[in-house]
Formats: sequence, structure tokens, C-alpha cells
Amino acid sequence: MRDRIEEIRARGAELVIVGNGAANFAAAFRDDFELDCPLLVDPELRAYRAAGLRRGRIEILSPALPFQALRALRSGFRPTGVRGDVWQLGAVFVIRPGGEVTYRYVSRDAGDHPPVDAILAALDAGPERIRETSRQPAHRVLLGRALSCAVDPFIVSSFDRTGFHIHSLTFRDDDLDVDLSGRRCLITGANSGIGYETALALADLGAEVVLLCRNRERAERAANQIRAQTGNPRVLPERMDVSDLGSIRAAAARLAPHPVDVLVHNAGVLPDERLETVDGLETTLATHVIGPFLLTRLLRANLERSSDSRVIWVSSGGMYTRRLNLEDLNWTERDYDGVIAYAETKRAQVVLSELWAEDLRGTSAVVNAMHPGWADTPSVKSSLPRFHRVTSRILRTPAEGADTVVWLAACPRAREHTGRFFFDREERRTHFLPFTRELEEDRRALWELCERLGAEPAEA
Amino acid sequence: MRNANRLSEIELPDASGKAQSLGAYWQQQPIVLVFIRHFG
Repeated sequence: MRDRIEEIRARGAELVIVGNGAANFAAAFRDDFELDCPLLVDPELRAYRAAGLRRGRIEILSPALPFQALRALRSGFRPTGVRGDVWQLGAVFVIRPGGEVTYRYVSRDAGDHPPVDAILAALDAGPERIRETSRQPAHRVLLGRALSCAVDPFIVSSFDRTGFHIHSLTFRDDDLDVDLSGRRCLITGANSGIGYETALALADLGAEVVLLCRNRERAERAANQIRAQTGNPRVLPERMDVSDLGSIRAAAARLAPHPVDVLVHNAGVLPDERLETVDGLETTLATHVIGPFLLTRLLRANLERSSDSRVIWVSSGGMYTRRLNLEDLNWTERDYDGVIAYAETKRAQVVLSELWAEDLRGTSAVVNAMHPGWADTPSVKSSLPRFHRVTSRILRTPAEGADTVVWLAACPRAREHTGRFFFDREERRTHFLPFTRELEEDRRALWELCERLGAEPAEA
Repeated sequence: MRNANRLSEIELPDASGKAQSLGAYWQQQPIVLVFIRHFG
């Protein structure tokens, strides 16, 4: 079947193969198949992710996967053990000079591979729009909907890893098939957990990513790692402590001359004891509420200048348990409980997201909040060690937790919404318990409180 | 993936360990780019 490669070459094209795994496997593979085309090694999946391919879908659990695509091109098959990453999908693209992609096929199941004739037809057709994509799996979406109906009424039962897998059955594959080149995305707390995974995914999609972190060294380390993992050089560390209003003002002054297309309020803390920031604010209040509010306000003109800007609040499912409470947000009268402080400020974030959406209505900016479910992040591990111990087997990965953030930041269709709350790429209600509903006057009071506490010392 | 802008930025080692720029492949001619899961 060597002639199938010759058929590609007869059309003035060349075959290039990218696999993960070590170089010596690649060399053996090349010899086994007598391949004389370029064979590249991508152990960090840089090219793989830059091509918009993702890992970790439930339906590809089957370990017997695709180099059948290649078997179709070359006869001969050496049945050896699986080497490398069994979660990874195969894919074929036809790329024309100038970089236009005129054919793509992403395999979905074991043994799923594109017909060679379709690839040859794409080469014959010349520069045209994409001719074929992977099979549209309607049954998968229906299954996902049915399982979601069964699981979602129990609310928290879908917060875990299984919930993500069920919900992800309904995800549209082309939602994140976007090129974010030229977009500038700011992410707070981007050196670990969900913030890191968000930055990594957005860098993968080609965006310029600014990592706003309180620790410069950690920010630089994360930026280097993301650059290395993605091959995207536009990853910039920037020092900013969201709990320190002066630090926010200084960072905003450095950021203001540049565009802002996406602003992700991700940084979070869950302290054991009441700690006060330099501005005299309790830490969760400063980090989740007052700081992000101030940063949004200072970058408001930048958001309005962009033709498609998005502000995203990373809240928490824990907010479902609390009502907006303005009585003692600074914890000067109550005995401190970090978990309650966390949940209350996460509730406040959801309300603030809605208020900002209102405030920016009519501009190019949309504002939405989300919760990531239960993800296994460094902060969960250190702040909730008991929760982590009990649940660690069912926790989502940080990347799964970040998925909806990335979707809100990148998906063209996500900007149809503003002032909404999302979980696993779907709009969700913000209250399950009747007593958690806030009063209209409390919503207004929250805005005023943010304005007052975030004001310049001279203004106050 | 509708265009290969992101891929064009990436360099990967070939089987002999030498770094190759992906974008260079499709500068002159169409490329059939095949991602396989592993070499096995």
C-alpha cells in the first residue's frame, strides 16, 4: 500500500506524521513501516494541542486506538503493546501553503479513521473550505442529556469527575475550535490549579496570556512552563496581589496601555483564621470581592475598547449554601469560619457578576460567572484537607475544572450571554435553596460597599 | 482548527532528535498532517 503515500506525493503534497512517545520508538516505527516521510515526536503534545485536539473524553477509554489511519496508508501492522498516552485521539489534517486547513478528521473511537480517498479528494480540490470533519455523534449528545437529567437534580452529585464526563458528552467539539491570536487575556491566580489550566488552554488557542500572580517567581515559573508546553511565546508574568488594593492600582496602571479582551477573576483563598490585608479587609472579602471589583473598574475602559471583551468570575458551588450577607462581611463581629467566609464571598461574586453585566450592558463587554465543580487543585488540598482526603478519588482534574472558564473566554457562542451563571458549559440557576435569595436593596448595597472599600484613600 | 497559525509556531524534534519547524513543511506544498497516538 506504499502507493497511497505515492498518491499523496503525485498531488504535489507530502505526508508528515506526528506521534508522541520517545524518538527511538519513532525511529523503530519509521523502519517498520519503511516510511521516508517526516516523522516528528511530540511527547508534550504541543502540536497536538495547538491543533485543537484534546484528551480525556470518556468515549475514548478504549485503549485500542488509531494508528489505523496510518495502517490505511501503509500496509503492515506490528501488534505490539501500547506505548504512550492511551487517552489521546488521532487526527488527520490537510494544510495548504499559507496555513489554510482544507480537511480535517478527528477520530472518535477505536479504529475510527478517515477514508484515504477523502484525503486525496481534498488535495485534488485545492484551496477550499473544510470539507469533512469527524462524525457528528448525535447519540452521544442524547446520552449526555439523559444522564444529566438523572444526575443534575441531585445538584452536587454532578460536581465530581463523573458529572464532568456526563456533561462533556453534550459539549460541541467545534466550540473551542477557535484561533485566539491577537486576543489578550488576563488571569488572576494563574500560577496553579484552575488559573494555570485556563492560561495553558488559552495559550494553546493562540492568545496572549497575562498571568497576574502575587508571587513573581511563581508567575515566571508558570509562564516558562506554559511557553514550553504550548510553544506560544506570548505568555507574560505580571505581579499583582488581588488582596492588596495598592498592588491592583499599580498593576492596572501597567496594564492599561494595552488591550484587555478577557479578564478572568480566578484568584481565591480559604484561610483558617481571620487575616487582615494591608487595607484592613478580611482576606476572602479582599481577594474575591473588593479586589476583583476594583480591577474591573480600573480596566473598564480597556474592556469597552475591545470589540469582544469578556469578564469571567470563577465562583464556587459552595456559594449555593449561602445568601448574600452584608451584615458583617469583614468578620469583625462573628467568630471566624473560613468556609463560611469563602462561600459568602463566592455568593457575592455571582451577584457582582450580574451587577457588572448590567453596568456594562450596551458595551462590547459580557460578564458571566461560573463554578468549576469539585476540582483537585492545590488550594483545595491545603485548605480543605479532610474534604480532599474523602473526595480525592472523585475530584475533577484542574483542567476539567477550568473547562467552562476556557469555554466562556474563547467560544464565539458564549458571548451571547451576559449576567449568567455557568457550570459545565451550560447556564445554571443561581439558587437551589429559597432562603439564599437576596434582596434587591442588598444587591445595590453590595455595589456601593465595593465602591466605598475600593476607593482611593484620598477619595474615601 | 481552521488555520494552522498556531501549529506554524511550533518546532518538534524528528526521529533523529533534530528540531524541525512545522510551518516550514507547508510553506511550499500542501501537507497531510497525521497525528497518531503513539508509535507502537
